[in-house]
Amino acid sequence: MSGITPDISNYASKDTMIHQEELTFGKWCRNIWDAVSTCFKGLMITGRYIVAVKPVTIEYPEVREELPTNSRSRLFNDVDNCISCLQCAAACPVDCIYITAVRRDKEAPKLKTDDGTPIKLDLRQYTIDTALCCYCGLCTTVCPTQCLTHTTDYEYAQYTLSEMKYDYLAEDIRAWKHRIVK
Amino acid sequence: MSSIDGKETGNFGQPVSEKIKSDLLTLNMGPQHPATHGVLRVEIKTDSEIVAEAIPHLGYLHRCFEKHAENLDYRGIVPFTDRMDYLGAMAMEWGYCLTVEKMLGTEIPRRAQYIRTICAELQRIASHFVYAGTYGIDLGAFSLFLYLMEEREKILRLFEEMSGARMLYNYIWLGGVWNDITDDQLKRISKFVDELQENMKTYHSLFGENKILIERLANVGVITEETAYQYGATGPVLRGSGIKWDLRKDRPYGIYDELDFDVCVGEGLKGTVGDCWDRYHVRIKEVDESIKIIRQCLDGIEEGPIMGKVPKVLKVPEGEIYMRTECPRGELGYHLVSDGGKTPYRLKVKSSCFTHVSMLPDLAPGQMVADLVATIGSIDIVLGEVDR
Repeated sequence: MSGITPDISNYASKDTMIHQEELTFGKWCRNIWDAVSTCFKGLMITGRYIVAVKPVTIEYPEVREELPTNSRSRLFNDVDNCISCLQCAAACPVDCIYITAVRRDKEAPKLKTDDGTPIKLDLRQYTIDTALCCYCGLCTTVCPTQCLTHTTDYEYAQYTLSEMKYDYLAEDIRAWKHRIVK
Repeated sequence: MSSIDGKETGNFGQPVSEKIKSDLLTLNMGPQHPATHGVLRVEIKTDSEIVAEAIPHLGYLHRCFEKHAENLDYRGIVPFTDRMDYLGAMAMEWGYCLTVEKMLGTEIPRRAQYIRTICAELQRIASHFVYAGTYGIDLGAFSLFLYLMEEREKILRLFEEMSGARMLYNYIWLGGVWNDITDDQLKRISKFVDELQENMKTYHSLFGENKILIERLANVGVITEETAYQYGATGPVLRGSGIKWDLRKDRPYGIYDELDFDVCVGEGLKGTVGDCWDRYHVRIKEVDESIKIIRQCLDGIEEGPIMGKVPKVLKVPEGEIYMRTECPRGELGYHLVSDGGKTPYRLKVKSSCFTHVSMLPDLAPGQMVADLVATIGSIDIVLGEVDR
């Protein structure tokens, strides 16, 4: 039947063909002994894990993991402290921060951020498309008033892409300030 | 077996000759195939169970990194380098930062150098763990994956505390590193490597010394010294073929010239030099070497600043440079051409995985399909780096 069973030598180059030594009875016995003993060694380790080692996984919805404090998750911008400097939008490598600002009226009452920087521009739109965001953290490092921060909030899956667009001037998102900002 | 006119015949008297030849069966392995480690499609032609031809098809994870980099400022490229080899992101960042820093002539503070080395070596360990774990799954040994992922998770937790992200760090910046490392973290790293050194022996006896695994890997997918040279293989694949070449030793960058470690090469302990088992063993030995390097860094780490002087508006002087570093998977090269502006004129990446994938058509013919899975696993490719 040599014509039907495929022959490796039709395809393999000479380098890759390795001629193995012939199997003797002694070798056959040793192979079996090796297989049984090494598998038993492995099973001992598995057995030790069953008895002696505590589980390392956490059962997620019941137990929630606390992320490290400088973990980079959902972005939050405290719009009251934002001076509309556009540095975050310039630093963003994927251009997912959309800012619109107009010059503040001269007669309007003077505003200051928490650290004393005067606010000269009125913020009209501050939107981040979180679906585009790559969570690199470059925007938070350039922020002069530290108003744009990463929070440790990581549960914000949505059904549609448009729901991932956060308008930070909206009332419900402003309310996050007291909930999640670190 | 009977014969007609002196010719050999089969069971039913039909002549068995060159005339009856079964067709080769074309089979697509991938793009959605667990054994191809990502979205690699290997078009294989099989003669029953034997592979006659294998053609890798690339491009499923192409993200236009090189073109994209031409429109980004130098700091903004760092998060994109993470996403090339997402399992060895620290090493990718370091390579890029070294390239730009060399062009700028920036002096890197000693503390930052030590932190970078520690991070890169921890990343190498984590990357080799993913390799060994998923390799086990490919070959039908599941338990090692669980143990190694547990160890890897400890490394990722450390990285998350340092940089803020688990896998795509953006931690190594131009001029230094983002955050400083605390004494508590250094102590935990030291404790972790002590435990790991003990555990590695257990894991190796569980997986690498197993007779069934040796039977599957020894003498399979042999890359000879000559083939490795001709294709330009690097990293553990080259060292598995018995060639002593490690950029950390031979072309030192960072502070590697001050550190003492060995370059591991394949010795053909269980079969031929350059087979799948050798490549596995080289990586496992490299974990031990990485532990050695981390220990020396922990002893030698100095106090001081972590960021060098880099101008806020970054303009790289005109010129070009090619810089290569030793990543977990092999040699990573960045060729940067600058015209003096805020963005690179051209940034070309030389990836080791691409080279290794191109060896497949040479390795596959004559193997069983199951052995091809072992071979693809043993060259340890990440498709993010292959396609970029």
